[in-house]
Amino acid sequence: MRTTLAVAADLMREAMKRKWFLGLAIAITALLVTLGLSLRLDVVDGALAATRLFGKVSRGMTIQAVDVALRPVLEAAAWVIFYGGSVFGIIACADFAPKLLSPGRIEHLLALPVRRWELLVGTFLGVLGLSVAAALYGAGGLTLLLGVKAGVWTWRPLVAGLLSSASFAAIYAAMLTVSLWARSAAVSAAIGFVVFVSGIAAGNRHTLIPMFEPGVGRAIFTGYTMPFPRISSLGSAAASIASSQALEVRSLGSLLLGTLVFGAAVLALGAWRFEQKDF
Amino acid sequence: MRRRRLVFLWVAILLLAAAVALMLYGEEPAPEPPEVTVNFPRRLSPNERKRMEGRRVLPVPAATDAGVQADRPRDPVLAALSGGGKSAVVVEANAIRNSPVGKLLLDCLLDISRENPIDQLKREAGVDLLQDLDRVAMTDDGVVISGHFANARWDDLFRSRASSNRYGDSATLYRPLAREVTLPDGGRITRQPEESVAVWGDQMLLMGDNDDAVRAMIDRVEGRGAVQPLLGESQTYGEIYGVISAEDLARIFPTDQFELAERFKSAASRIEVHVDTSSDVGIVANVKGTDPSQVEDLGKSMGAALAVARLGAQREEEKELAELLELANVKPDGDSFKLEMAIPLEMLEKQLSRCGERRREREERWRRQQVQRGGADAGG
Repeated sequence: MRTTLAVAADLMREAMKRKWFLGLAIAITALLVTLGLSLRLDVVDGALAATRLFGKVSRGMTIQAVDVALRPVLEAAAWVIFYGGSVFGIIACADFAPKLLSPGRIEHLLALPVRRWELLVGTFLGVLGLSVAAALYGAGGLTLLLGVKAGVWTWRPLVAGLLSSASFAAIYAAMLTVSLWARSAAVSAAIGFVVFVSGIAAGNRHTLIPMFEPGVGRAIFTGYTMPFPRISSLGSAAASIASSQALEVRSLGSLLLGTLVFGAAVLALGAWRFEQKDF
Repeated sequence: MRRRRLVFLWVAILLLAAAVALMLYGEEPAPEPPEVTVNFPRRLSPNERKRMEGRRVLPVPAATDAGVQADRPRDPVLAALSGGGKSAVVVEANAIRNSPVGKLLLDCLLDISRENPIDQLKREAGVDLLQDLDRVAMTDDGVVISGHFANARWDDLFRSRASSNRYGDSATLYRPLAREVTLPDGGRITRQPEESVAVWGDQMLLMGDNDDAVRAMIDRVEGRGAVQPLLGESQTYGEIYGVISAEDLARIFPTDQFELAERFKSAASRIEVHVDTSSDVGIVANVKGTDPSQVEDLGKSMGAALAVARLGAQREEEKELAELLELANVKPDGDSFKLEMAIPLEMLEKQLSRCGERRREREERWRRQQVQRGGADAGG
């Protein structure tokens, strides 16, 4: 376990040196600072009386409880963190695995007293750590901002951020595993997007299935979407949690666990491939 | 070493299975499928075959006539319809009356009349439509109504309205009398209606546009007229069945489907329709044409039109229409294609639910009046 965590830590150090992640951190910080400076919420006795953004007063507002009034903001933030974070993660992390497996580096790593599956899992955990850190930074910053501005302290955006990371974990597991067959950042990113889009379709399969004519087409679509993580369902759950709305899924815990187990299954497949590959 | 690698593969498979099970349990439940119990009429059922055989009341053509009358159906209604027209539709009124759809339609029929027309006809002519009526057939030449009319008093019904004379072996022809009509400017003219009515034995009432049309129908039934069968005995399945010409069918297309209607007219030569109303309404239309490639194209266009309509209904959240169209499909078959559609009974109930309300309100008012009258009489 210690070796695995050491590999993860090494990956995170490398990521910090990259401009991508520096840029992401700066972008999130800039967004939060801009929002913090431009957004002014007039809260009187727990009720939101007026909102000013860049000096302009929002029209058509009714005076209502501030936590109720901020629900749309929290929901929008959850959507951005979830989907924006996933897309960014796919693009930014696509070349970690191909770089790990690049000639020269992989031989050096394999010469160390590190098991192959530990290398794989360590890389995965490193990327997952980055994803969690970025999501919590963005969600946490928003929570802090709203807490200071409006006196609304809520853990909901943080939960949305964590759900986003769980969803990304399943996607990255597939990206990492496919690199063991094709050592290419482009292929890795492509598979990431395939899992991402398939996961969105899987989350909406009960809506999409009736659009197929009964027969082979419908059977293929039903079978194809069955194993993929329900990414859109997790996204909707994140938005619903952030905005204190009822969940539409039967069991969020089961979906979440299923998504993580999917990631573990794909990683196990990657470990099987890694163990038998000659470098 | 190899064993350790295989362990990873087995773990992957087991974890994937577990993930699928967890996600299937956790996702939002699938919507309940609509409860549609629809029978698509595709061939004669055993009961329909028995019914068809029971209707063969006409004699087998004699050997000398066999060459001429070989095609003459032995069912008098089908024989009457064999005039070479392009469209003929038969409604099994007795079967529909006892179906859920029939009860809804009957409610509507009684609702639009102030006085119950069924009771009125029973009183005036001795015909109980609910018991005596068997089939109603509509064709280019006229209408044929079959049933058990042994107790009918046709002479009483037509006495003051038509002149009668015998025709053929078993028919009585009723020709409407001329009548005076008041014009909008107050003037009066005498009009002689062209339509004609005939009764054949105690089992058929025939109505035609004119005397000749009605006589021709009787001649075909009694074996004197040439027959060009439009509907065969093997096609008498479903509660409604028949053949419709492409021109007649094109008229019922909505105006925004003008192009599809025109393609129907050019590609289709014969459309055979069968409708089952035993539960949800199932409609099967067999479309035939002379040019297989045109018919195939038409079938694809119909399939595409249904798919587009279904997507549109889903987008507009018209759930019932989307469910209805979900049950529609087109099956190509050489120089023809089969179109199947279903109308859920629930949808018909909703459309026709207002029917019957007015009649029930009238009956309730009449009942209350009777009760009040009874009370007043007792007090007096």
